[in-house]
Amino acid sequence: MGNVMASSTPPAPAAAPTEDKAAKPVLENPGSMDELHKACKDVFPVNFEGAKIMVNKGLSNHFQISHTLNMSSVTPSGYRFGATYVGTKQFSPTEAFPVLLGDIDPSGNLNANIIHQFSEQVRCKFVAQVQNSKFMASQFSADYRGRDFTSSLTMANIDLINDTGVIVGHYLQSVTPRVALGAELAYQYGAQVPGGQIAILSVAGKYKAPSYTVSGTVGAAGAHLCYWQKSSDQIQFGCELETNLRMQEAVGSVGYQVDLPKANLVFRGTVDSNWTVGAVLEKKLQPLPFTFALSGMLNHPKSQFRLGCGLIIG
Amino acid sequence: MPIDETLAERLIGLTEMLPAPVRTASGKVIQGSVAGVKGAYGLLCSSSWVFFSSAAILFAPLIFEIERTQMEEMHKQQQRQILLGPNAAVSGSMMPPQAAGM
Repeated sequence: MGNVMASSTPPAPAAAPTEDKAAKPVLENPGSMDELHKACKDVFPVNFEGAKIMVNKGLSNHFQISHTLNMSSVTPSGYRFGATYVGTKQFSPTEAFPVLLGDIDPSGNLNANIIHQFSEQVRCKFVAQVQNSKFMASQFSADYRGRDFTSSLTMANIDLINDTGVIVGHYLQSVTPRVALGAELAYQYGAQVPGGQIAILSVAGKYKAPSYTVSGTVGAAGAHLCYWQKSSDQIQFGCELETNLRMQEAVGSVGYQVDLPKANLVFRGTVDSNWTVGAVLEKKLQPLPFTFALSGMLNHPKSQFRLGCGLIIG
Repeated sequence: MPIDETLAERLIGLTEMLPAPVRTASGKVIQGSVAGVKGAYGLLCSSSWVFFSSAAILFAPLIFEIERTQMEEMHKQQQRQILLGPNAAVSGSMMPPQAAGM
């Protein structure tokens, strides 16, 4: 996907004056289903291998390009060029739409995202991936954010010629100011699917307390539970359990994130039930706009260590 | 009447000093403890490796950076103290934003 982070989804329209004890409590928009586990997942490090140098340059307020050099023995080395265009329709001080993101490498492999918000409630996103001159993956999704619910529809890899595709629908409703419940229905059709079509239903829930959040998704494919806690301004913890019934395996992991603005440092670490430890350190090297990233991951059973270092300029 | 025994026969005869169950039991105990010590040593080796390498990945960079920041703060305070006199150091880190770099 693009090298520049896509703008995050807008904050819930802050409905609330203080709860009126006599009347019904005011319910806020619970965010979309994709963001259900986001706070917890952000705590975990993303380990990488090899050296990475990225140069970001802003050509104007709306347009930004990036050049990335990846040198590694595990993943194929190469150069990628990325571009981001941010449009003029502004819904909040931090977000503007449409957002077009793309990156491409010299042999023509392309990842592209287009995100556009048509109105306060409706947002659409289109993602395409082209490899070896063929559309490897394409996905179109539309979200509708109501006052206290969010529903979205996603269509992925729709192939009209071979009549295959995946359609996923989400619905998430705020039930009390702290609890949100929702469901996901995934439908896949095609010649390859046993019986021509298959549908899987899962339920999701989220409980949000002032300093911690518990979220879970349970379905026929497995269960995914997350716990996130912000212990102080500087340290956050996340704990995650993923089970996959098809592959009969479960993984539990604990992660933490330490933010030290005084030291211009963000450090994330994780320990796994597969006896894997990983950490990523990101440090801004003042006064020049450089960010240095160092990633290490050690898999004890396989005795395998992966070290990565990256420098982001601009 | 002296019995003619070779040295080997005398040594072999010594094994009959203790009854067979005592002999086999003590043999098993000793073999068991040797195996136990070897196993415990191996376990000690692998658990120390796991502990120290995981600490080097999870905690070491963070601790080093925190120490470095603290030392820099102390150094800056000392500089301020030298430059502006002992009373200036009391203000601590409440200085107006400093120019880029030191």
